[in-house]
Amino acid sequence: MMTAVNPSPRGTFLLDRGASLPLLLPATLLVLVFLVGPFYYMIYTAMTDLSFANPDQKGAFVGFDNFRKLVREDSIFWGSFWLTIRFVVASVAVEFVLGFGLALLIWRFIERQRLLTTLLLVPMMLAPVAVGLIWRLLLQGDFGMVTYYLRQFGILSQASAVFSSPALVMPTVIAIDVWQWTPFVTLIILAGLMSMPRSPFEAATMDGAGPWRQFVDILLPLLRPIIALVLLLRGIDAFKEFDKVFIMTGGGPGTVSELLSIYAYRVNFKNWNLGYGAAVSFMVYLVVLILCSVFYKAVYWKTAGERA
Amino acid sequence: MDKFWKIIAIGVLACVLVIALTPYLWILLTSFKGRLDILAPQPTWFFTPTLANYPAVFIDKDYLPLVFNSLIIATGSTTLSLLIGAPAAYVFARSNFAGKEDLFFFFLTTRMAPPISIAVPLFLFFTMLGLTDTIYAVVIAHTTFNLSLVVWMMRGFFAEIPKEIDEAAMMDGRSKLGAFVRVIVPLAAPGLAATAVLCFIMSWNEFLYAFILVAFEGRPITVGIPGLITPHGTLWGQVAAVAVVATLPILVFTFLVQKHLVRGLTFGAVKG
Amino acid sequence: MGALIATPALAALAMLGLAGQAGAWSLEEAAAPYKGVTIRTIGEALPPLEAMKKLAPEFEKQTGITVEIEMYEHSEAVSKVMLDLNSKRGRYDFIIQPHRELGKFVTNGHVEPVETFMASATLRDPEFKPEEQLYQGLWKEISWYEGKPYGFPFTALTMYEWYRSDLLNDPKEKEGFKAKYGYELGPAQDWKQYRDIAEWFTRPDQGLYGTALQGKRHEALWYEWLNFLYSYGGDMLEVKAGSECGPVVVNSPQAIAATEYYKSLMAFSPPDTLNYFWDDVMALMQQGKVAELIMWNDATYAVAVDENASSVVGKMGFDLVPQGEGGKVAQVEGWTYLVPTSSKNKEAAYLFIQWMMDYDQQLNQHLNGGATARPDVYASAEVQKLPYSQASMGSNEVAKPKPTIPQSSEMTDILVRELSSYLADEKTAKEALDQAAKEISELLGSCAPMKYPVQ
Repeated sequence: MMTAVNPSPRGTFLLDRGASLPLLLPATLLVLVFLVGPFYYMIYTAMTDLSFANPDQKGAFVGFDNFRKLVREDSIFWGSFWLTIRFVVASVAVEFVLGFGLALLIWRFIERQRLLTTLLLVPMMLAPVAVGLIWRLLLQGDFGMVTYYLRQFGILSQASAVFSSPALVMPTVIAIDVWQWTPFVTLIILAGLMSMPRSPFEAATMDGAGPWRQFVDILLPLLRPIIALVLLLRGIDAFKEFDKVFIMTGGGPGTVSELLSIYAYRVNFKNWNLGYGAAVSFMVYLVVLILCSVFYKAVYWKTAGERA
Repeated sequence: MDKFWKIIAIGVLACVLVIALTPYLWILLTSFKGRLDILAPQPTWFFTPTLANYPAVFIDKDYLPLVFNSLIIATGSTTLSLLIGAPAAYVFARSNFAGKEDLFFFFLTTRMAPPISIAVPLFLFFTMLGLTDTIYAVVIAHTTFNLSLVVWMMRGFFAEIPKEIDEAAMMDGRSKLGAFVRVIVPLAAPGLAATAVLCFIMSWNEFLYAFILVAFEGRPITVGIPGLITPHGTLWGQVAAVAVVATLPILVFTFLVQKHLVRGLTFGAVKG
Repeated sequence: MGALIATPALAALAMLGLAGQAGAWSLEEAAAPYKGVTIRTIGEALPPLEAMKKLAPEFEKQTGITVEIEMYEHSEAVSKVMLDLNSKRGRYDFIIQPHRELGKFVTNGHVEPVETFMASATLRDPEFKPEEQLYQGLWKEISWYEGKPYGFPFTALTMYEWYRSDLLNDPKEKEGFKAKYGYELGPAQDWKQYRDIAEWFTRPDQGLYGTALQGKRHEALWYEWLNFLYSYGGDMLEVKAGSECGPVVVNSPQAIAATEYYKSLMAFSPPDTLNYFWDDVMALMQQGKVAELIMWNDATYAVAVDENASSVVGKMGFDLVPQGEGGKVAQVEGWTYLVPTSSKNKEAAYLFIQWMMDYDQQLNQHLNGGATARPDVYASAEVQKLPYSQASMGSNEVAKPKPTIPQSSEMTDILVRELSSYLADEKTAKEALDQAAKEISELLGSCAPMKYPVQ
């Protein structure tokens, strides 16, 4: 399959400007109007004092005041920020390792994968709102099924429950995220594994290379674009995590599970402090953009030459 | 030796399946329990089932139309995403122009902003256009968010199709558009199916924009769920019933498309 | 309350005389210009709203005005309205909102003063006399802002003590309790009793706990804590009405004492108490797992009467919040009818609201899970039969206002965060309340200096 990615020596089929433009235009226009437009409005709002609550704040221009206040004085924002980074790194790392391992197992040992993979996808198919409620029910201290068994097996003491023990909350949230999204990682990596060409492996075996060597020298490099894709997609989405955590913990106890999206929600939708809220949102976006750009350029610049 | 590892693998996968499916199974059971059974201190695996929860929420509370609303929104946005995104992906796969990779990266960046951030501006914008409270606003919103996924995945699929095929189709006298529609698209069908499933799931499960942009009558199931959390007690039996019904269409859809799903991803879409 | 039995006939005649009309006012006539109109509203998906939905067809029959009711979860209902009002879209002809939002609406010019309609002879039903027929304290707090009324109470909520009367009246329990604590076991009248009872009934091995705190990071925490705050003689701002701004006293010595006492009850609460909001403690009481609680007056049906949901029907007792230095107190909470300035059918909406406030509709709504603000409804035979009526009436008389200024939701958010931090052992009570006082003072500006400055 790799061969098709290299420009074919015979065919030089390329779309010219005339054909490209109309095909590309609707997508670009849609995004520009409905995403970029509101986005720039958000940036503008971030430089005003707009509030739906306070009648004195009708949207007067305040320049970078909101940003200054955010960066210098808002300890909750920074707490949220580092918490979210830890959440993203932990979740994505675990999801990647487990997902990769599962994909390898399925690819290597199981023939009838289709039913299996579809069943595995169930956690990912549930609406995040529903996932939040389901786990709230399962982990409730008095009648939650999982709490009951955790206590039976001694993992949890009789006198504590998961969402009211500050130390246990984030590990649990991460575990639930892993439960929900590992299937996604498995699916993508499995597809990648199944599309690998046989020839490099056969050649290596004939050269006497063992399975571990082949894994490190052939398989991993072949899968690099896919690994990058999955890490990027999960990383971005994990940063935006909101629905299920908000339903399960509300950001608490204290601020122990207050992810950036939850904080942004509070400022925008509870306090209706839209100017400041826009500044918060913009900072989140900026961080994700910077991290992704670095990651993307590092991985894809290298493979750019091989692409169509 | 291989057999041994195979058994281990099957064992591990069985455990994983149990972990993945038990919560869903529990919700299924819960939807048939009365409130006292649900709140019992010891989990009740065996109980006298009641069917009362389903009619209570779908008929008395009038939640049945919500399922159809979800269907309309998800189908609409998925179709629109593919219609608009696939051609764009084709362009990325088949042409070269200055700034192509930058434009491609730009499409990815549209995923990066937290949904909350443009919620209010988007709402005000749609209100200006007079589209709030119609189905169109949320379909457009979902389409816009799904575009990045479509463009990314379909680019890989199209790139996999050898260019000779495009040329052959053109030599048969078709226009470029004809070639695209008649020849290329059917070849990329598995990829389209896989992308469609992911788009459908994301639109079906979306909450924030559906809540903000849609009228009460047109609200999808996800928006209906929090309404069952009340200060008088969360109606867990009804929540479970709604969760079960909310997931069924997706499960069915995915099962129907499963043949294409993995095969579709297999064909190199994941090469990005 | 004494003016309840004002002579309606004389009053009506006087009104007619003033209005200069020959015939009596009738709903059909008043609604005639609006026949065929559809009005739309939004509220919280709870029994009172469902009761209103069932009553609406009757109104429709009499007037030809259709009423469409959108039901959402609490915070969804608030968000939807904020978006609608601020975009001036005018989707809702009248709204039902928590009274704490009133400041935001009034100061931003989103709602009509109700005088606009009440001054009109064609719209106003002379039989409707809110100044006599409603609990004045409640009406003024739930639907007035800065001295002007903007609507009427849809529900008048408060919190008080729930207890298991069967446990507290059990002779064996009474004996053991008296032996240990030296006084008779009965519904707690002060905080020492509350604590003793909680301690006495905390028997984890039997699956029974004394009480349960709503400790989740959620508004429920703030509502519950307010009872303790008020009862200890504390408050958030030193003001007389919800729409006033005044010195911040949320970190007063009384407040700190109240908060520390509040946390001490965690010892007699189930382990998951920091994860509970009103829903969970309700479930606990329904399952018979706690002996006493501080909970809402409108949730009592589901625990004291509904046999499908509760295993302690007939075993519940209700009383006022235990008294501390602050004496008998309760808090005012409620949802109010409001008419947006962007409403397209203001008069038709007013007619419906006025009709809903009538005795018959209020009685019906109250019996179906509502919480009326009319003393005559409470005094009726049907309502008196309900086990919680006395406690409700007692509480309604001593209810204290809470802030309704535009910054009220942000104030609540700050307090919930700080209280939750304190409960989670992240800081001391003094630190949490000092931090809250500081932020609230900054938020409100010069009208709210800190009475107890932080060193």
